[in-house]
This record gives sequence, structure tokens and C-alpha cells, in this order.
Amino acid sequence: MEELILELKKQIIEALNLEDITPDDIDTNAPLFVEGLGLDSIDALELIVLMEKNYGIKLEDPGKSKEIFKSVATMAEYIEKNRTK
Amino acid sequence: MKKITAYCRITDRQVILNGKEPDIAFSGEPGSSRLTEIYRYLDAGYPKFHKMDNLSKAGFLASEMVLRALDYDRETPDGSTSVVFANKSASLDDDKRFQATINPDNYYPSPSVFVYTLPNIVTGEVAIRNKIHGETSFFILEDFDAEKMHTFIEWAFSSPGINRVLCGWTEYLDNHCDVLVMMVEKESPKGMDYNILNINQLYLN
Repeated sequence: MEELILELKKQIIEALNLEDITPDDIDTNAPLFVEGLGLDSIDALELIVLMEKNYGIKLEDPGKSKEIFKSVATMAEYIEKNRTK
Repeated sequence: MKKITAYCRITDRQVILNGKEPDIAFSGEPGSSRLTEIYRYLDAGYPKFHKMDNLSKAGFLASEMVLRALDYDRETPDGSTSVVFANKSASLDDDKRFQATINPDNYYPSPSVFVYTLPNIVTGEVAIRNKIHGETSFFILEDFDAEKMHTFIEWAFSSPGINRVLCGWTEYLDNHCDVLVMMVEKESPKGMDYNILNINQLYLN
């Protein structure tokens, strides 16, 4: 799981152009949106693309997104259970 | 009498703010990395900059320099300022980037690249950063045309309550940057006269 969390942090930094931020700067359990990294709705779309592109996960129920994208930890947990690649 | 109270010119060769060259140490070739170098020089502390397309970055940086030179208060919402930009290539630089993400064999078009596939986004970025609540507009011309730009700026001033117009030419395509951003003020004791001749001179110098 630790390895996946690190990999995910690196992918988030690259996909969202988070210049000057390293994986160590991202608190695994901190909120991704509003507080924490302060991501916005466009970033959310990029994260959906990232999940599909890198892990083969299609998020078909938008209602679940809030829980999945709560933090890097919740994302990693969901990926671990649902990844197809 | 209207005056141009500050201006910034950014080209592939140089950056000029009110006639002087800021002491920016460029290490790379012209293009996106050079815009990042200007951002670091300004120490702007605005992480959203890194998510912008190159056109927005270029317009943002020139505006940032002009507004700083005028000690502009970006904390107070401002309904008396308009933003009017123009260019030749619209958002073609980002359009091409977006097109490159549409790969039939690996179909993941990027949402964050897509949002910049309109040229007027740069005016919105500048307005958001500086709490400018006046009207914003963006025009596409065949080439730099001071006379037409003068007309657009006059239109902006014809809106009730508009005393200042942040305006200019924001062209960016294929790593080539050609930007002139000016502040034109309705009533200012200082600055150069606002007229077509002076707009042309600032662009050509």
C-alpha cells in the first residue's frame, strides 16, 4: 500500500502540474479539495482521467467520487480494491 | 486626458517594464520555461499559474508587473477597471496541446488543457487574480493593430463607472511570446499620453 500511495502522489503531482510540491509535501490523509492541496473541479476531472488511464478504473457512479477523492489514502484504498491494470 | 500609466512588454528577446529591463536571469530558450523564470523572479506565490496555458501565463505575468508597478490593491474588489486583450492566434497554442492529448489508441483528452482552449480565459485569470469586476473582453485581429485596439479600449471606457482599462496584445504561439500590456487611466496626472502613436511606439520598441 505504501508503494501505491507514493506512486499515486507522483502521478497527482504530474497530472495536476503541482509545481514545487514533492510527494513528501502531500499529507496522505489530508483533504485533497478546498483545504489540503486546494484542488478544484477541473482537478477532479483530471483525477478521474488518471484513475482510468493508469488503473483501468471507470467511475460510473458520480455519487461515490466525494468519498473516493477525500484524500490520497482513500484514493489508494479504492484503487487497490478496483484496479484492472 | 487619458494616460498610459504603466506598461510591460514581453518578447522572446526581453522583458521591459516601464522602459527598463528587470534583472531577470534567463537560463533557457524562449518559451514556457522562460515564463516560469519570470514567475519565479516575481515570486508571485500563485500556484494556479502552473496550471495555466502559455497564453494565460504570458498575459498574467505582464499584468502582474504592470499592476505591481502601480501598487494596485488586489485585495479590494474593483468594479472600475476593465480588461481588454487582443491577439492574432487566439488559443491555437493550447488548442494544439489539447489535440495532442486526443489519441485514438490512448483516448484520454486532458480536461485541464481543454479549459484553456478559449483565448478569453487569460482575461478571466487576470480578473480573478486581481479581483477586477469590470467587463473583460478579448479580440482576435489579423495582426497587431493599434488603431483597432484604441477603439476597443474606448468602448471599454464607455461603460459606466470604468476609470481604468488594463489592455494590450497577448500573443503566444509555438514558444514565441509577443505581449504588450498597458494600464490606461481616465484621469491621471502622470504617464504618457494615450493615443495610437504611443501604443504603436510601445509595441515597436
